[in-house]
Amino acid sequence: MNPLLAQFLAEADDLLSQVDEGLLRLEREPHDADLVNEVFRAAHTIKGSSGLFDFPELTRLTHAAEDLLDAVRGGRLELDATMTDDLLAAFDLMRGWLAHVTTTERLPSSANADGAVLIGRLRAPLGGQDSPAPAGHGPQAAPAPAATAPQWVGALGEEWLETTASWLEATSASLRFVRYTPEEDCYFRGEDPLHLLRQVPAAERFVPVTPAAWPQAAEYDEYACLLSFVLATRAATGELEYLFRYVPEQVEIADLGATALTRLLAGEAAAVAEAGIRLGDAEQAQDARALLEAALHVLSALPQEAAARAARVSSVERAVQSVARALGRDVEFPAHDAESVEAAARALLAALETAVVAEEAVPAPAEETVRSLAPAGPAEETAPAALHPADGAADGGKVGSRTLKVEQEKVDRLMELVGELNVAKNALTFLAASAEEEFGNRILGRRIKDQYAGMHRIAEELQAAVMDVRMLPLSVAFARFPRLVRDLGRKLGKSVELVTDGEDTMADKDVIEALGDPLVHLVRNSLDHGVEAPRVRVEAGKEATATIRLTAVSDGDAVVIEVADDGAGVDPERVKRKAYEKGLITEEQLETLPEAEAVNLLFLPGFSTAETVSDVSGRGVGMDAVKASVERLGGTVTMRSERGAGTVVRLRLPLSMAVTQVMVFSVAGQRFGVPVDAVVETVRVPAGEIGRVLRQEVIQLRGEVVPVVDLAGTLRMPWSPAGATRDVLVMWVGGQKVGLLVERFHREVDVILKPMEGLLADHPAFSGTALLGDGLVLLVLNMKEVLGVAAHAA
Amino acid sequence: MSTDRTPHVLVVDDAATVRYYHRQLLSEAAFRVSEAVNGLEAVELALQTPFDLFVVDVNMPKMDGYACVEALRGEPVGTDAPIIMVSTEDGVHDADRAYAAGANLYLVKPVDGARLVRLATMLTATAPVREETP
Amino acid sequence: MPLTLRDNTATITGTLTVEEVEPLAGWLRSTDRPRVNLRGCTHLHTGALQLLLFFRPTVVSRPLDPFLSTHIMPLLGKRNKELEASS
Repeated sequence: MNPLLAQFLAEADDLLSQVDEGLLRLEREPHDADLVNEVFRAAHTIKGSSGLFDFPELTRLTHAAEDLLDAVRGGRLELDATMTDDLLAAFDLMRGWLAHVTTTERLPSSANADGAVLIGRLRAPLGGQDSPAPAGHGPQAAPAPAATAPQWVGALGEEWLETTASWLEATSASLRFVRYTPEEDCYFRGEDPLHLLRQVPAAERFVPVTPAAWPQAAEYDEYACLLSFVLATRAATGELEYLFRYVPEQVEIADLGATALTRLLAGEAAAVAEAGIRLGDAEQAQDARALLEAALHVLSALPQEAAARAARVSSVERAVQSVARALGRDVEFPAHDAESVEAAARALLAALETAVVAEEAVPAPAEETVRSLAPAGPAEETAPAALHPADGAADGGKVGSRTLKVEQEKVDRLMELVGELNVAKNALTFLAASAEEEFGNRILGRRIKDQYAGMHRIAEELQAAVMDVRMLPLSVAFARFPRLVRDLGRKLGKSVELVTDGEDTMADKDVIEALGDPLVHLVRNSLDHGVEAPRVRVEAGKEATATIRLTAVSDGDAVVIEVADDGAGVDPERVKRKAYEKGLITEEQLETLPEAEAVNLLFLPGFSTAETVSDVSGRGVGMDAVKASVERLGGTVTMRSERGAGTVVRLRLPLSMAVTQVMVFSVAGQRFGVPVDAVVETVRVPAGEIGRVLRQEVIQLRGEVVPVVDLAGTLRMPWSPAGATRDVLVMWVGGQKVGLLVERFHREVDVILKPMEGLLADHPAFSGTALLGDGLVLLVLNMKEVLGVAAHAA
Repeated sequence: MSTDRTPHVLVVDDAATVRYYHRQLLSEAAFRVSEAVNGLEAVELALQTPFDLFVVDVNMPKMDGYACVEALRGEPVGTDAPIIMVSTEDGVHDADRAYAAGANLYLVKPVDGARLVRLATMLTATAPVREETP
Repeated sequence: MPLTLRDNTATITGTLTVEEVEPLAGWLRSTDRPRVNLRGCTHLHTGALQLLLFFRPTVVSRPLDPFLSTHIMPLLGKRNKELEASS
């Protein structure tokens, strides 16, 4: 993708979120003029920038949104909920389009139809009049396609041109046609025209034109470029100019519609085709005329105030002098006042008219849009951009924000490298051990350890620095909720205010991203089941408008997020009864389970309190799904609820999931890891002390019975423990202690967990892999799943 | 002390895409380019740096293009450097306002890149040679 | 190696750079009924494309690369005369 388009997509994305936020706030504070202005401006900016590309549907839709917002801004319309709905829908549609553009560099084919529907709705409050833009297509300000096509377009083939002409006719669209004539010696300058042409976006057709007469085979020079190229594309002129910016003088671009192609096919355009050659001059004349007319315009509207007047006159004098110089004439200003400047400008204009009339032998309607890209005048001599590469950096270029936008892949790559550095670093401890044990050199061993300590510190700092780059504020995860709460509230007929707090709390981007779905689910639950209808609330003596509060606070190396509502709360009796009906608890539990614990039943798989499955909280997916995804992130969920007063769900998540400390052990010669957090202790017990309760092997640990799982057996690895003792790794899994029968313990290491790939990708017993210092791959166990498999196997 | 003949352009636009586009175009045509994201910032920069050309967007937050041009022409900046205004609004009154504010040319977006470069080149042909302190 | 030259078949894989244009030209000049396999070719230098258009070897395998396959292949299939007639 060309950088200009990438820049546009990034900017549009930012603007669209601004618009969303602004519109929602606006609905609450409809008379906030600054807010209207802000939203209007964002729409306006998207519209303006979209004109650089061939996205006429996008430009039209933003235009319609902008007109509506302009009417609101000017006080001609009052923004109501329907208009907000339509505006939000319009911006949503744009977001979808831009996602499509991101992958395909085009708008989806449905854009025209979808856009038209919304444009109609947006324009309805304005009296339904159509866009003030000239009828037809393209950005409002885009030049109309040329009336006649240059002859070279014919290279694309008559048949294709006919088909295309009728297609363009039907869609009243136009295409950009490009002729690129590389210089014969271009290979020597490292140019590869075909490579450049591959980058033309949205090319419809591409034809290399062979020379009219090839040289004899014996004289054929493989280093002389004899080809030229003609192509047709949907890309906009601006994009093409940008692409061909290093060879502008070798490129001609024409914007042509059905009419021009039809005429070309009819052979009418022959005479005009050659007009392109002289265009450099014609354009210069056109520019000069524009500047001189503007000069007269300024002079006719001078202010009274002396200083402002002087600056204007002086600037016009400079402009007129520049024009004169470009036209090869010198002008004198006897007095540096408005009158003499005006006289000079008029004289130049008159001279220009006669010169142009004399030259205009060929009527060239194509001159507006068929042009050589070569910049006229001195720019050519000083053109190489490389002369001033550091300018932007030197003077800071962009003033204002100092934020650098970095592609996520680059940060991920950095993180990967940090991981590899950690691995390489860890290899030093192996080396130190082997220096001592294998080579018996304790001094060398110690020196290596010292080196390791130094590297360890640097690696830790580097890791912290990179992780810091990956940190995002929670506001990223919270951003979608104002909209969600508003839309759902409207749908359910409930009045809800969303309050967010602690949005600037930071967490790793992986955590933030993974948090999205659970949070959406919790907020939906609150709205759907927690918050009562306004009437019910009033009857219960509450405010008609409910409050849902999203709060984030950091707590050590964890972040705590709460979703709280002041709704009806959970009815413990109903929950218990339902759990019993579903066979999730026994009759005894139904009687004895304390009310405070009843809410936890909600987290059991297969539980849902909604009497009817509503459209709002996802069908069949309950709190158990939330719990599962939070636990997958290494977090915990708890819930408190008070009948009639509301419910609070609290998620506790690690700030970062990038680095995991794992305990390494081996079974059947294969090494495995488990997160150190889960490890309680390692014990060695006499083989005879392993007993059995039911079918489960257990050990007694300070009076506590701990089940022991044979990992090798569970994973069907051929190994049976030998010797008089057994090594057991005791862990805390899902609220209980569990022992794992282990062949041998190794050390604890810091690893970067990578998701499983390949054959084992779907195996739930593994949460990921990590590379060890000695180059071996470590499989990290997901203990909960291992226990599940073990229970299943038993 | 060094002399710098490279014309220095200030691009004033709130849209990052447009700034990027103008920067590419102009720096490839050997202009030195600085950027400002609104009128206020442009005026502040112009107080410190004698730019040879301004390319100013009309519709901007904080201080719009007209007010910005007006301020550039008035005290304390009082620049006589050429100013090109660009806008998406194609109305006679918009152009009138631009010229009354003191712009030297009013162009309608999307601005044809090659044309902007030609105009910038033509307008800065008389730019005075500036002494620059390193 | 992007260019493998055998008795009467040249196989182009990956990106054929300007460096390989000369050997390819020499081979095309000296080979009777040359055949070219473009299946694994991802990009041809312009000079090489021009060689193929000039010497018109038989293309024995279509390139998998979408650009070459869509835009370049149809031209290599045609004889010189047809090409001239259509341009």
